[in-house]
Amino acid sequence: MSDAIIRTENLEKSYQTGAVTTQALRGVTLEIKKGSFTCIVGPSGHGKSTLMHLLGGLDHPTKGSVFLEGVEIGSLDNSRLAQLRGEKIGFVFQFFNLLQGLTAKENVEVAAMLAGVPEKEQAERAMKLLAQVGLAEKADSKPSQLSGGQQQRVAIARALANDPAILLMDEPTGNLDSAAEAEVLEILRNLHAQGKTVVVVTHNNEIACKAEYVICVRDGQIQ
Amino acid sequence: MTLSKLVIRNITRRRGRFVFTLMGITIGIASFVTFLSMGGSLKSEINRESAALGANLIVTPIGSCAYEQVSILTGEILPSNITMDEVAKIRAIRGLSAVPVLTEKSAVANKPVSVNGVDVAAMKAFKGWEIAKGAYFSGPDESAAVVGSAAAELFKLDTGSTITVRGESIPVKGVLKETGGRDDVTVFLPLPLAQRLYKASNKVSYLAVKVDNLALTDRYVEQIREATNLGVVSDKQMLKSVLSIVGTVNITLQMIASVSVLAAAFGIVNTMLTATYERKREIGILQALGATQRTIFTIFLLESGFYGIIGGATGVVLGLLVSITAAPYISQNAFTSFVKGSGVGAMIDLKTVVGSILFSAVVAILAGVYPAWRAARLSPVEAISYE
Repeated sequence: MSDAIIRTENLEKSYQTGAVTTQALRGVTLEIKKGSFTCIVGPSGHGKSTLMHLLGGLDHPTKGSVFLEGVEIGSLDNSRLAQLRGEKIGFVFQFFNLLQGLTAKENVEVAAMLAGVPEKEQAERAMKLLAQVGLAEKADSKPSQLSGGQQQRVAIARALANDPAILLMDEPTGNLDSAAEAEVLEILRNLHAQGKTVVVVTHNNEIACKAEYVICVRDGQIQ
Repeated sequence: MTLSKLVIRNITRRRGRFVFTLMGITIGIASFVTFLSMGGSLKSEINRESAALGANLIVTPIGSCAYEQVSILTGEILPSNITMDEVAKIRAIRGLSAVPVLTEKSAVANKPVSVNGVDVAAMKAFKGWEIAKGAYFSGPDESAAVVGSAAAELFKLDTGSTITVRGESIPVKGVLKETGGRDDVTVFLPLPLAQRLYKASNKVSYLAVKVDNLALTDRYVEQIREATNLGVVSDKQMLKSVLSIVGTVNITLQMIASVSVLAAAFGIVNTMLTATYERKREIGILQALGATQRTIFTIFLLESGFYGIIGGATGVVLGLLVSITAAPYISQNAFTSFVKGSGVGAMIDLKTVVGSILFSAVVAILAGVYPAWRAARLSPVEAISYE
């Protein structure tokens, strides 16, 4: 389809642990439309996160292809993949994964730096994004001084630092209380409304209910 | 944000580890610099003393080794085995001027000082000494002393004051103008007086010889050897053998210091490897944000390089401080007495400073290559999933 920002063809991923081979994905073919809000759901250990890693170019598929904006990324080398992540993908993880030694603003600035944003513009962009997630006043706080919800909002601001084509989130509310979860959901809704492509891997039915598309992964396959 | 800022934030985050790793490289470089600056100072002092000696040939008892040659330059006590008969035979050779010197030691205000018994007239002509205060010896049988400018200042000696040599009070008759050599820190006595005081009757330690025609130096050497049973060495040979000893000592000391730098380098390897394990998840985050393997490699290499540059700079400062502080306390001996006489300025050599910091940086960067490589080749998924 022409409006697919990302699509996969017969995607397979297996891991070798000693003599044991684990088949995480078994021929996944899917499409994610540009500007859509898609949830990937399914039981734990059935390949959701693996699928997200492959969609975001964090890993190479064992077989099959991943196309991002029409470019096959599965066969790109590590360096090119890293560059592509810096330019087109924004990641948000369950455990926030902020750099602990840096302030909220600096965390966003690092992402901007890696995306090639000039140093002079980084601070401005970081403040704008922190304001967007409602944390401008916490710009100089270290992650340890922020609540879980606030850390996740900083992580979202950081994921937006490169103005990504697609936002990939792995259980973004998995570690949050209800109030924080509602705040994050609100931000996701706003991002989607602004035209961002949002893909969320989740167990959270409330998020899944709000998604335009839901992809269910079970035993490494789409159901 | 820049990579360097990120690196500085990473390093200073764990201050204890940062300080201890830095101390390793600081101490290593400090010992390296201490030995290097003292060695450099020794070499320049030796060159200066050799030039100040003003002799083309040195006559010493046969069998004298390089140690005795060093002692001539440092003003140490030498065995006085050359008889005045032998002195006369050498002085009888045409085309050269030879001055006998008896080198001894005394103490003024509990500080050691070189005492040289000299042929007063011949020595003044040989060295071209000028008098700053008072007067020079009027004859060889005078019971008086003429002191070098630095010795006069150090021991607060002036014309009219006295010094005690071997229990005998000797009046100071004059103070020499600064020569820039060992003579500045020496007390000179007429040879007969020195021979009497040190019970070296009819004996001297060495002869400094100037030849009229340098092209015929070899012939003069032969003539001296034929006339006496003494050893003759040219100033260049002496300088070469002394510098070679000093060079060997320097290299040995620098090698010992290099071992401590090497140990510090392994400290950096250890710190950086620990950092790759501790920050595995952070590496994964940076990779997810778009950091390439080269970026991760650069971050870790910059971190170890930072240790090298900061450790090198603090090491250089510490090393120079140690050199400057320790030099006056180094006991007088043939190898170290030069340092004692040399000024602080001689030790602070820009080449040593820059070279040591560069050396430190290169060692640290090399030490960081393996940890950086380990960090760079982490898989993003593995790193980001690390608990």
